Amino acid sequence: MRDLVEVLFKEIPSGVGSKGRLRLSRTDQERLLLRGARWAVEQGYGEPEDLLYIESGGAIEGADPSLISEKAYERGRAQQGTLGSGNHFLEIQYVEEIYDERAAQVFGLFPEQVTLMIHTGSRGFGHQVCTDYLQVMESAVKKYGINLPDKELACAPFNSQEAQDYFAAMKAAANYAWANRQCIMHWCRVAFMKVLGASKTELGMHLIYDVAHNIAKVEQHTVDGKKRRLIVHRKGATRAFSAGHPEIPDRYRDIGQPVLIPGDMGRASYVLIGTEQAMKESFGSTCHGAGRVLSRHQAIKRAKGRAIWREMEDAGILVRSAGRKTLAEEMSEAYKDISSVVDVVERAGISKKVAKLRPLGVVKG
Amino acid sequence: MSGQVTIERLDETRLKVPIGYVQGMAVEGIIYVDSVLQNYLEPDAIKQVANVATLPGITGRSLAMPDVHTGYGFCIGGVAAFDIEQGIISPGGVGYDIN
Repeated sequence: MRDLVEVLFKEIPSGVGSKGRLRLSRTDQERLLLRGARWAVEQGYGEPEDLLYIESGGAIEGADPSLISEKAYERGRAQQGTLGSGNHFLEIQYVEEIYDERAAQVFGLFPEQVTLMIHTGSRGFGHQVCTDYLQVMESAVKKYGINLPDKELACAPFNSQEAQDYFAAMKAAANYAWANRQCIMHWCRVAFMKVLGASKTELGMHLIYDVAHNIAKVEQHTVDGKKRRLIVHRKGATRAFSAGHPEIPDRYRDIGQPVLIPGDMGRASYVLIGTEQAMKESFGSTCHGAGRVLSRHQAIKRAKGRAIWREMEDAGILVRSAGRKTLAEEMSEAYKDISSVVDVVERAGISKKVAKLRPLGVVKG
Repeated sequence: MSGQVTIERLDETRLKVPIGYVQGMAVEGIIYVDSVLQNYLEPDAIKQVANVATLPGITGRSLAMPDVHTGYGFCIGGVAAFDIEQGIISPGGVGYDIN
């Protein structure tokens, strides 16, 4: 396990502003923004089959690279295939508990199985897209005379040019994130093969699912008995479509969409499935993680004089981190208990537990 | 906040943010928390759920998941759906860490 964590830490660049092994030309970047994880697979990072198990097949249609600022391109150039910092992580986990035998079997999960979870997004590229378009929206609010209770809610009518431009740029950033995780997953597989001396087939590391949790999408939902086309914003919320939905991969269609809930680094993560109730009341959505209870600053104060890595090691979890403060900021106490969060969405009926995953080895930014 | 209107517990896992919690709400808010997680619920996050309910074209309800906390304009843990014809799109509703 120590070797695996070391190799993952070495092979997957992490930390604030970390640079990856890819240096993308402008043409490469534009292709990546249009094709997302498909671009990554075309470059040899992963298998075509992976794409079947990524939300939207790993790329949303309608991204427009011409609407991306130079600054975003600059930030994105060297960060593809990197983990970043903050709550992002790579975790080697094991299946501690199965709650839904049938769903677990269909997803290929079984007790004590070792799993790998990747939690990262569009890095500095997406951050820059958000920054750029918040400015555009500030002007749009004035132009269209929108009355806001808080200027941070800056927005534009969906049919306006400003809104369509943001939507196309956001899609590009979403595709950047899907490509990023695809590249990282590929290098993780290579690292596992190297450390364990196993072939791809022997390893059998198939992708269960890849799902976004900060995105806006046009979807059809039934509201008050009427089918409506809506622009659904999920910010720290995960799509959780129920069985039968056409966007669910064929193999999972009778079960429901897998939902991945990354927890804090010391406790657990979960695999859930979407439910009919979620379609009825939460636009097919559920929670996304534990949610902070301490600010980063408070957490650093609380961790003063403690060796968080050693506390984790004593609890049987090996951890490597690029940033000096990250482990303090990210310690379990800084988060709500993921199990109580997941229990609430299950009791509310908007998703159903399939499996609980316990961390064994953690790589943090 | 408009004085009198307060959040109401609907059942074991749902709180309602009634219309009128802030001025101009077109729909109500729902926050999925039980009595334990309610202890972590920040007043600013509740206000954000209510604020989102004032935006043009908001449909159904303004929602927050049990991992809710205060974010940029929209709370983190939030779900909001807007009509494609009458509604808006907002970068704050997606956040900085896109996807």
